[in-house]
Amino acid sequence: MATLEGAGSPVAVRARRGGGRSTLGLLSGPLVWVVLFFVIPVGFIAAYSVGAVSLFPTDSGVLSLQDWGHFLGGGSIYLGLFWKSIRISLTVSLVVVLLAYPVGYYLALCVRRRKYVLLLLIIAPFLTSFLLRVLAWKVILGEQGVLNSFLSWSHVRSPDDPITWLLYGQFAVMLVLAYVWVPFVALPIFVSLENLDRSVLEAAGDLGASRWRTFVRVTLPLSLPGVLAAFLFVFIPTIGEFVTPLLVGGPSGYMFGNAINNLFTGALDWQTGSVLALFMLTVVAGLMALFGRFLQVRSVATG
Amino acid sequence: MRDLDRLLAERFNRRGFMRLAGASGVGAALLAACRRAEDAGPRATGGERPSIEEEPGNLQVFDWSGYGNGDYYPREEKQFLWSQYQRETGDTPEFILYENDSAGFTKAVSGTSFDVVHPCGYRYRDWVDAGLVQPFDTALIPNFSALNPSLMEQGVVDGQQYFVPVDWGFIAPLVNLDHVEPNEQSFGILFDERYGGRISWVDTVNMLYIAGIFHQVPDPFDMTDEELAEMRDFLIAKKSLVRFMWNQSFDFWQAFKSEEVWIGYAWPDTVGYAANRGMNYLYMEPKEGLVTWVCGMGLAADTQNYHHSHAYVDSWASEKAAEFLMAYYYYGHANQEVDLAKLPEGVVEALYLDDPSILEPPRSIPESYIPRRDVYDQYWQEVLAA
Repeated sequence: MATLEGAGSPVAVRARRGGGRSTLGLLSGPLVWVVLFFVIPVGFIAAYSVGAVSLFPTDSGVLSLQDWGHFLGGGSIYLGLFWKSIRISLTVSLVVVLLAYPVGYYLALCVRRRKYVLLLLIIAPFLTSFLLRVLAWKVILGEQGVLNSFLSWSHVRSPDDPITWLLYGQFAVMLVLAYVWVPFVALPIFVSLENLDRSVLEAAGDLGASRWRTFVRVTLPLSLPGVLAAFLFVFIPTIGEFVTPLLVGGPSGYMFGNAINNLFTGALDWQTGSVLALFMLTVVAGLMALFGRFLQVRSVATG
Repeated sequence: MRDLDRLLAERFNRRGFMRLAGASGVGAALLAACRRAEDAGPRATGGERPSIEEEPGNLQVFDWSGYGNGDYYPREEKQFLWSQYQRETGDTPEFILYENDSAGFTKAVSGTSFDVVHPCGYRYRDWVDAGLVQPFDTALIPNFSALNPSLMEQGVVDGQQYFVPVDWGFIAPLVNLDHVEPNEQSFGILFDERYGGRISWVDTVNMLYIAGIFHQVPDPFDMTDEELAEMRDFLIAKKSLVRFMWNQSFDFWQAFKSEEVWIGYAWPDTVGYAANRGMNYLYMEPKEGLVTWVCGMGLAADTQNYHHSHAYVDSWASEKAAEFLMAYYYYGHANQEVDLAKLPEGVVEALYLDDPSILEPPRSIPESYIPRRDVYDQYWQEVLAA
């Protein structure tokens, strides 16, 4: 029997072939989806970026790496804009993780009852429109907004001298982005902490570790995959963000995503837009690969 | 309405039209502009087409926000702009929106389907060249005879009535006189260091030609590379004065009303809002000249709703539509039969309907076709990204 059921046996081969077919069958749907709505569009953008495709009369229609050379060679103003966006995204991601970690910690390790009700409260803002949530900040941060009105009412500042830098600047962009992404960050951190083996924490306590030492030496390292995942959840999408800067950013809040959006929708320069979009995609993919070395996806889901 | 007729006739007969035709690089347009709409080519005739009853209906209108979709005046936009269309055809139009001319053109080129579109005059040539529009059969637009002929000439491209110009207005600085003491009436107020952080520009390539007008370049709509580079550097240097750049005129109004900004690049609609609110404002007549714009209806080249589209444009060309645009948006309209006495107080003055000389050079600068728009776009992107 051992021979018949061995790896090279006809039964095993048939089973493997059958399994291969079923795997292919199961994967075919997602594969078709990814090819149709990701690979082909990205291929189209790549072709556009070198002039292999042209749509507008203003397109060169000549195969050339000139736009890539100009961008990567430092002659383009967009490279500086990219680093500015990276800086904003990094700041937002770090701040958001720092803000969300205590929330996730509290929900996972301190709350005994109704923790999922509280979790629901955190994600409750998502029941309203994204645009409304962003625009609400204009009402809060404006010169005659909630914050300035309160400062004026409490005589902290004169009504004639409101704080003007709250809105239409990088501060507003970072604040609103942080607000928008906090729940996305709190969730993976919560899952990571929720799935911690409590006996490890108890063991640390039994061995005489203080709560702080237990946190630093046990809890934090074990929750790092969740923290990294949370960081990526914010960092990657915010690099290409353009709606928030458009609404609350003003001239100094202009980001890389706005440039891509403008090149596609306003300037009819799809070739440069494609170069920028593809560059961003490549950088993000590179970062994913880099972080992937430290982050085991399974560990985020299971702790 | 005689004043309005004279005003439009003078404004569009002279420099503006010559400039538009010249900039378009099509000398034939000059001759064509003089033709009546009945001269439209054979493609424009409706005889071989399905009758209105055979058309699918469900008209797709590709337009700016607030021009019928109900964003600004939910009841009135329908009542004045297309209730006539609905009465005549039994159809209810659907609206696809764009925020500015460039966004609309890009969407159309990249495949957005529509029946009727509403671009502005300085982009007409782009729409025709891209094959997106076809000429109208003006015989199917009964109200066409009520529209100002001089203005209609603006809609003639390559000898055919590709567009039916309907609305027009100005571009000039609007300032809050409670906070601003202008030294003179000039576009320079948009770049005034005294009011840093209180200025709003428009978020389009138009800021380049405004800078060009301010610097008195020979042709702000066809600047050389050197002039463009100079304007780009000037705008970059002045960008720190800008609180925000607006995409929707209403966004500017919100900020102007709440005094977040005191100065801005403005269309007359904001003047109307400010007047109705009783604000202490000045809509400048810049010493460099008031920029004037005109927008018109275009007919999709591949429309299945040929007759429906004409009926819709006829509705827009009506006296009611004109009264609405003038009274609610402070925009001019091509219909010559509007009774100016019916308009709310202030509209006539805001549109200078009692002073036709405002539209004569040098007091007026018609917004013209930009032949090198792609180059302008590149320079503007550099301003934004700097």
